[in-house]
Amino acid sequence: MSQEQSTNEPPVAVVGGGRFGWGLADTAARHGRRVILWSRRPQRPATEAIHVTQELGELAAAELIFVAVPSAFVGEVAGRLGEHLDGAHLLVHVSRGLVGDELRPLSAILREVTPCRRIGALGGPVVADALSRGEPGGGIVGTRFPEVRDAVRGALGRSTLRIYSTDDVMGVEVAMTLVGLLSVAVGFARAMGVGPATLAVMGTRGMAEAARIGASFGGRIETFGGLAGFGDLMAAIAGDTRPELGVGARLAGGMSPAEAAREAGAHIEGLAVARRIADHVERAGVQAPLTGLLATLFEGKISAEGMIKALMARRVGEE
Amino acid sequence: MSLLTRFLQSPPVRVPTLFPPRVGPGDPRIYSFNSERPRIIDDLVLRVVESHGRDEERLLFALNEAANAEVRRLATQRDAEAEVSLDHWRRLLRRLGKMSHVERVEALKKTVRHMGEDIAGNFDVRVFRATRRMVPGVLTAIMAPSELPHEIVRTGWPRVDSLVTAEGPITRLRELARTGTLVLVPTHASNLDSIALGYLLDREGLPPVVYGAGKNLFSNPIISFFMHNLGAYRVDRRVRARLYKDVLKAYSCLMIERGYHSLFFPGGTRSRSGMVETHLKLGLAGTAVEAFARNLTYGVKRPVYMVPATINYALCLEAETLIDDWLKGAGAARYIIEDDEFSSIDRMVAFTKKLVSLRSAAVIRFGEPLDPFGNPIDEEGRSLAPSGKTIDPATYVSRRGIPSVDAARDAGYTRELGEMLPAIYSRETVVMWTQLVAHVLYRHLVAESPGIDLFGRQRRRGEVAMSRERLVAEVGEARDRLRALESAGLARLGPVLRNSAPDEIVAQALSAWRGYHTKVVANEVDPDVVIEDPNLLLYYQNRLVGFAEALAGPDQVAAAREIAGLTASA
Repeated sequence: MSQEQSTNEPPVAVVGGGRFGWGLADTAARHGRRVILWSRRPQRPATEAIHVTQELGELAAAELIFVAVPSAFVGEVAGRLGEHLDGAHLLVHVSRGLVGDELRPLSAILREVTPCRRIGALGGPVVADALSRGEPGGGIVGTRFPEVRDAVRGALGRSTLRIYSTDDVMGVEVAMTLVGLLSVAVGFARAMGVGPATLAVMGTRGMAEAARIGASFGGRIETFGGLAGFGDLMAAIAGDTRPELGVGARLAGGMSPAEAAREAGAHIEGLAVARRIADHVERAGVQAPLTGLLATLFEGKISAEGMIKALMARRVGEE
Repeated sequence: MSLLTRFLQSPPVRVPTLFPPRVGPGDPRIYSFNSERPRIIDDLVLRVVESHGRDEERLLFALNEAANAEVRRLATQRDAEAEVSLDHWRRLLRRLGKMSHVERVEALKKTVRHMGEDIAGNFDVRVFRATRRMVPGVLTAIMAPSELPHEIVRTGWPRVDSLVTAEGPITRLRELARTGTLVLVPTHASNLDSIALGYLLDREGLPPVVYGAGKNLFSNPIISFFMHNLGAYRVDRRVRARLYKDVLKAYSCLMIERGYHSLFFPGGTRSRSGMVETHLKLGLAGTAVEAFARNLTYGVKRPVYMVPATINYALCLEAETLIDDWLKGAGAARYIIEDDEFSSIDRMVAFTKKLVSLRSAAVIRFGEPLDPFGNPIDEEGRSLAPSGKTIDPATYVSRRGIPSVDAARDAGYTRELGEMLPAIYSRETVVMWTQLVAHVLYRHLVAESPGIDLFGRQRRRGEVAMSRERLVAEVGEARDRLRALESAGLARLGPVLRNSAPDEIVAQALSAWRGYHTKVVANEVDPDVVIEDPNLLLYYQNRLVGFAEALAGPDQVAAAREIAGLTASA
């Protein structure tokens, strides 16, 4: 079957040669799909099924294109990629970031700089290493277009990787970003030696905050109770291999945010986006104490102990 | 007159045809509508039967739902229509269970045909040409037929010509109308919108459009006659049956497919608050994507161009009813307002008289055309990608090169378009002088009534005054800020605002309000201007809520923020 598929189906393209990009490429290749992976500076050699290129134009041969570059670069890379694409291409990003002070979701950026409209965001507990190894799991794709959902399932989803879907694209994108942020907090709290109950309180209140922020952007609260929100956070608390946890732990150990990010060897969106979210929600009048504290912590303006104290000292109210 | 009225009221009124009018090759598509009408209805029946009749369960559900919804509606309606149709639906409900699939398909065919006949409009070239000859008197003729002879004797033809101004890429739209199908998607403030727009299209050499008009509009016999014979199709918003909505969609899709330029109000209903629409339903406008895709599947590659537009009035005919309705928060409940100014002849006369005395009462501004996927269009009518390269719009409705019709996909495109339009509306809104003066006065009212909720504030009639001098000064400042917004491409200045001195702007606004509205909006009591009717003031200023903060000086920011917050209750 896989042989047959690889000849009939168009290749799957991946923009970005980071860990996540390779995880997606490995998964699609394992399912018998030809893959074209674009990377500015390829780190890994091509394989039989994964063709590595530095020419964005080559990706136009694919139908489904995953965008797995840090959010700050998406505008520039996608803009160049867009010159080769048309309305038939399906774009799916995996970023845990929101762009600029207006916190624009990546789907909006992709829509603006490319001619593509069939766009989606892949979120949930999908982690690069687990993808590469083919561990069972699941994810959620937020899209308004059924063919995007089907294409992602076709490329990644098998009995071991269940791909759910929702049309609440905004909800998924905000959830992805805020869970990224909370994952750093989880890594931090665990390294500080907090108990399960504290972790549960922080996670639950953090998710309530995330849902409020999401709703203020036009997302749906329910999305945060699903795979994109709680599902993703549970995987972080259970201790998957996402790099955010390591960054949190290093912060707890007294490392500066910049060093911690460097050591993690991955781009951590949460560090950059926390302050912008905190400022934005303050302007919008949304209650988001945890985000504000995390932003302060990531700026190195509060110590690890100070952070825990500040968290626990907050006034208790109705849930 | 009453005999004529009765004759006109028995819809659909048509002028008998002995010899069908000749249609020339360069004539707009709509000229041949009447000869196509039976075929369009046949197609409509075919299409709906094909989508609903194939699956037994789906068919049974569609008929059941339609019959139940209609019985519910007609039983409470108890009018002439109910007398005729209620029994039919009840009988259908009783028999439905025992019918065979073939019989049910027959019942569906009959139902769809009946609905289609009720919906489908009419286009009489003779009525169209006659109407045209009457231009520029036609608006007055429609609005106040009994007044027309007096007006002509007294002042010659009313100066409708200068009353409605057109702005935007009109030459390009004329070109595009030749090669593709235009789908106009304007803002909606008044029942006069479609009439004013129809008049303007003809004056500017743009083709006539077909559009769905609420059945309640057809209750005014004169308007009914014109609408019916000038391409409007009837939409009965009281009908809740899903089947009816499907038939409507299929009808509007068929019209676009066949190249009839169309008009839809994406806001769905008139803006109750007076604000520029921010939440669009799009509804029938969404059929533009389907029509484009369907044509491709038949091998017909006719482009569809979406044309956003704003319709801006210095005075709104129905302002009083609309803002009352909004304040009651009953916008949704009273979806159809049956007893507004539009149905009252004396209000129409008053309005028309007032309009004629104004220099410029309405500005219709067309925005840049887009393809149904939100891409801009170049001079040759081709879609443009963000890179500036041309792009084939067919790729959006194709997979692996093969075009298809896909309702879920097209709904996705429609939602995307619905999210794009508000920003376009906002920057293409033409600010009228009455709105700016209302805004400055209302901002003063807000500043003078701190900490009071909206409803408390609206009760403060005749209590708050602003010195005329200060009003003039603030209007001048706000106008300057608006100019800055205009040069940044974010707003548009309308007539009077552009060239008049602030003092003149204020005087013209106060005089425009006098005489038409039954309530006094603001009264000059030297040296002050007293706010008499906060509701109307709110209505007119609401058009500017999106600009409130940008128009405020340092002292007015707090009040402006509160005004900007009004959008939350919209």
